[in-house]
Amino acid sequence: MTRLLKLSIALLILLLLIMNAALTPAQDMVELELWYHGGTQEENDETRAQVDRFNAMQDEIQVNFVELAGSLVAGTGYNDAVNAAAVAGDLPCILDLDGPNLYNYAWAGFLAPMDDYLSDELRADILPSLIDQGTYNGKIYAMGQYDSGLALVGRMSLLEEAGLRIPSSIDDAWDLDEFNDALAQLQALESVEYAIDLKMNYGAGEWYTYAFSPVVQGFGGDLIDTETLSAEGVLNGPEAVAAMEWIRSLFENGYSTLTPPDDNEFINGNAAMGFLGHWMATGYYEAFGDDMIVLPVVNFGARQATGMGSWAWSITTQCEHPDAAWAFMEFMLTPEEILSITNVNAAVPGRLSALAMSDLFGEGGRMNIFVQQLESGIAIPRPITPGYPAVTSAFFTAMDNIIKGGDIQAELDAAVDKIEQDIADNDGYPVQN
Amino acid sequence: MSALPANALEASYLQERRRQLRQRLRRNITLTIDYGIMIGLAIFFLFPIVFMVVSSFKPEKAIFDDLKTITWAFIPRDVTLENFTSVFRRVPFGQFMFNSTFIVLATVSAGLIVNSMIAFALARLRWKGKIIVLSLIIALSIVPLDAIVVPLLVLVNEFPWIDGSIGWLDTLHVQIVPFIADAFSIFLFYQFFIGIPRDFDEAAYIDGGSPFAVYRRIIVPLSRPVFATVAILQALFLWSSYLWPLMATRGEASRPLTVGITSFYGQDVKWAQILAFASMITIPVLILFLLFQKWFVQSVVASGLKG
Amino acid sequence: MKTSQYSNRHETIYAWLMSAPALIGLFVFVALPLLGGIYWSFTNKRLISPLPTEYIGLQNYWNLLGVQVIRLDPETDAATGQVQTDLDGNPVYPRTRAIVRGNPAYAGFRLWFTKDVLGNRYVVLARDPTFLRALVNTFVFVLVIVPGQGGLALIMALLVNQRLRGRYVFRTIYFSPVVTSMAVLAIVWTFLYNPDQGLINRFLGAISFGSIKPAWLVSADSALLAIIILSAWQAAGFQMIIFLAGLQGIPQALYEAAQIDGGNTWQQFRHVTIPQLRNTTVFVIISTTILAFRLFTQVDVMTKGGPQDATVTVVFHAVDTGFRQQKIGYGSAVTVLFFIIVVSIALIQRALLKSDVEVE
Repeated sequence: MTRLLKLSIALLILLLLIMNAALTPAQDMVELELWYHGGTQEENDETRAQVDRFNAMQDEIQVNFVELAGSLVAGTGYNDAVNAAAVAGDLPCILDLDGPNLYNYAWAGFLAPMDDYLSDELRADILPSLIDQGTYNGKIYAMGQYDSGLALVGRMSLLEEAGLRIPSSIDDAWDLDEFNDALAQLQALESVEYAIDLKMNYGAGEWYTYAFSPVVQGFGGDLIDTETLSAEGVLNGPEAVAAMEWIRSLFENGYSTLTPPDDNEFINGNAAMGFLGHWMATGYYEAFGDDMIVLPVVNFGARQATGMGSWAWSITTQCEHPDAAWAFMEFMLTPEEILSITNVNAAVPGRLSALAMSDLFGEGGRMNIFVQQLESGIAIPRPITPGYPAVTSAFFTAMDNIIKGGDIQAELDAAVDKIEQDIADNDGYPVQN
Repeated sequence: MSALPANALEASYLQERRRQLRQRLRRNITLTIDYGIMIGLAIFFLFPIVFMVVSSFKPEKAIFDDLKTITWAFIPRDVTLENFTSVFRRVPFGQFMFNSTFIVLATVSAGLIVNSMIAFALARLRWKGKIIVLSLIIALSIVPLDAIVVPLLVLVNEFPWIDGSIGWLDTLHVQIVPFIADAFSIFLFYQFFIGIPRDFDEAAYIDGGSPFAVYRRIIVPLSRPVFATVAILQALFLWSSYLWPLMATRGEASRPLTVGITSFYGQDVKWAQILAFASMITIPVLILFLLFQKWFVQSVVASGLKG
Repeated sequence: MKTSQYSNRHETIYAWLMSAPALIGLFVFVALPLLGGIYWSFTNKRLISPLPTEYIGLQNYWNLLGVQVIRLDPETDAATGQVQTDLDGNPVYPRTRAIVRGNPAYAGFRLWFTKDVLGNRYVVLARDPTFLRALVNTFVFVLVIVPGQGGLALIMALLVNQRLRGRYVFRTIYFSPVVTSMAVLAIVWTFLYNPDQGLINRFLGAISFGSIKPAWLVSADSALLAIIILSAWQAAGFQMIIFLAGLQGIPQALYEAAQIDGGNTWQQFRHVTIPQLRNTTVFVIISTTILAFRLFTQVDVMTKGGPQDATVTVVFHAVDTGFRQQKIGYGSAVTVLFFIIVVSIALIQRALLKSDVEVE
């Protein structure tokens, strides 16, 4: 027995050594590691293809694509892994970040500014919303290939059947009463189970903040005061309470479900409308063709607001070859590569020149509403603060509790307390230089 | 303890026969009830797994359609292997399987030696400090891994490895080495070793054996059941580990199955693929257990795990 | 009588040599992280922060455990001094926040819960209501799972210990969830628990004509129950095997003697099985308790502690605050408290269940 054990141990150690050797890279070219969050399957495939194209077109830089495991939606797998790596000083060269998380990483000193690399020409061509999103403390720390779009989609045939006015641009968007009426009319239709799919299958996480903070803003509230960074009286004020009451009413009235089994409630025809990010739009269009219509975001009264910001690339301070990393970024930011990814994920192309070339997003294009939303200033970035992780977590936890029956005022108060506590814990997030 | 009642011996043949019939009837009733409960429990314990496996052979849409009737939920109408091929296309399943298997085998085999040796020293040698060591080990068996992952992470990141590199993250050995020494396994070995009669060692010592020789020639061969039990328990624990590999690994090269499946539970949830992946993780282990089941129960019985 | 040629000194050397690998492993990979955690628990160390780490004494512990109770007086009409009432005639109370905010005595405290006792309304404030809720949830979980899962396991062991046809098949079936990893099962069960489309509610709906439809993970009332059911389902097979081992270790002669005494099945169970299973039961109780306190994976995958903290557990809170919220110092304090609690309970259990399972 022991001899057998000894033998197997020896063999295992040998194997381990061989595997380690096999995993050690060759030294003749610059190797960069890139971490990617996963994305949808199509997005993932295309991003891999882009990296392959970059590696194939030159022979000095080799970008190693690493897709981190992470249950993005139900869990926080990707952020967990990035945090773990940051602690361990084991970050890759190029890091994929969901927009608002970058402020925390930049504040902590993990990201390298890229202003010196960015030519004036390129900067002028980048979608202004992307520059805003990527800027912290006056420097640019991340640059995405695309921006996101949040919108209402519906099926023309059902909207007509319900006898609804169909808005065509953000200027004649539905107001709250019209929207409530539309929900009631659609709910009454025989052919659907409920009026609107709110993508609650994503679970309590970034989706809630991305999609529903514009509703809070539309009602006149906000997550935090953009000047003081405090949440008191903002997130727990009467406007935010009203917004939460309305959101909860959607479930109480049966207009939406808290527990869609998967991502396909609109495609399946169970839901008459969908409230969703651009990333679902292609699939929906494939399912319904011209019957699918992108509706401008509802005007809830105080202001018209919608979400923005998406995954972006950043270079870490742990990167030994930032120049090589920028060479890769430059490649990713060419209009051709931008379009190759946005044609797959239907995100808004991140450069004006790419936008002009796009059939989908250009003037009269099917997705043009997304561009209108970004350019008209109604798209609001999520709070630009190093405390963002605490802000989003406080908000989505409160919202999750509220739609599952919690007391609205108490939950929002608790969220405010958590945000304030976090600010206090960090000495008010003093700017580091 | 009284003797047999005298009247039973004197009972007439007829009475005896009636009693037997009644007894048989009663036995049949209890038997029926027993089987009823056992089958009921079997359904309870099996339905999620059967549902998982059956659904993994269905197209995504059919899973939901079939749920409308409970019967169809367990019967595949049009069988497809599409989900399995998708899993293989999307992720290097073979690599994940290899990683998980390798981690389990390496940790368990090293752990058996390391943990049984210290248990031997604690159970059968006389030395100063063993009471303290034993108490510390029992205390440490309470520490849940989940609660010390962050300091452990920071720690292993500073460690050198035999190939000269610094930092253990994103490797197979970061999932192996920290778990070789295991307080609970030591405790189980200890419990078993302490029950082996002393006479065996004495004989060996008289023959001039060293304590290590006694361990190797006497104790280990006598202790197969406890080795088997510890191996199985450790293997189950390692096979399921989740938080640690999620934090300590990055790429697919060192990713185990449990972390591999979470990438399916992400942005576009494809239940059919998740269930296919889950089935592929579960079925091999179930088959192994089915094959060794009788032997496993016997090992546990003999190992004194019962306390 | 020791006839060995080996002196005590030799034995000591061998003992340390043979213990060394395991001791080094336990020290480096369990004790050091634990000591590190204890050290950090006295600091405000953060996961990724440019701010320096400071020694803050017991502040993390006060922040975890701080509780205050205040009595609320109903709002009175300023002019008449009468208690204001709402439409249902119930007194109107001021918003707790109005009292707490701005009063330095309550700085850092949040509303945990309110309770009406004998016509007075009491507000319980805590510095970290989530942690206290986690303590409550964890104890509830342990108190339900230990007897519940243990009892189920014992019943199953008794059933499959009989010489019945198919017993091996049943054993395998009951044990099968144990060999499946919890991370995977939690995902599958999330699907089963879906209130509208999930298999469990389809089944409950079918047998109750649609009248029973729990919201499971979606409701604060049922989420912990859902986690308990899954946990018992997953682990009962393990305890069953241990009970089975215990049952098979009972000498058959004892049953024969009992039969000769005319004992029926129940009496045999009562007077032979139960006393003989004593050690096994103690082992099951102690090990299940320790494992139950560690509840984490299911919660992390299925509910993230929600809704309304209904499923938050101590280990989950440790990981959530220490890692996700990046407050390592604080999370370490949670771990230390957890360790103290579990060790104390293990000691108490050992004392209460004192038997020949003794270590020495």
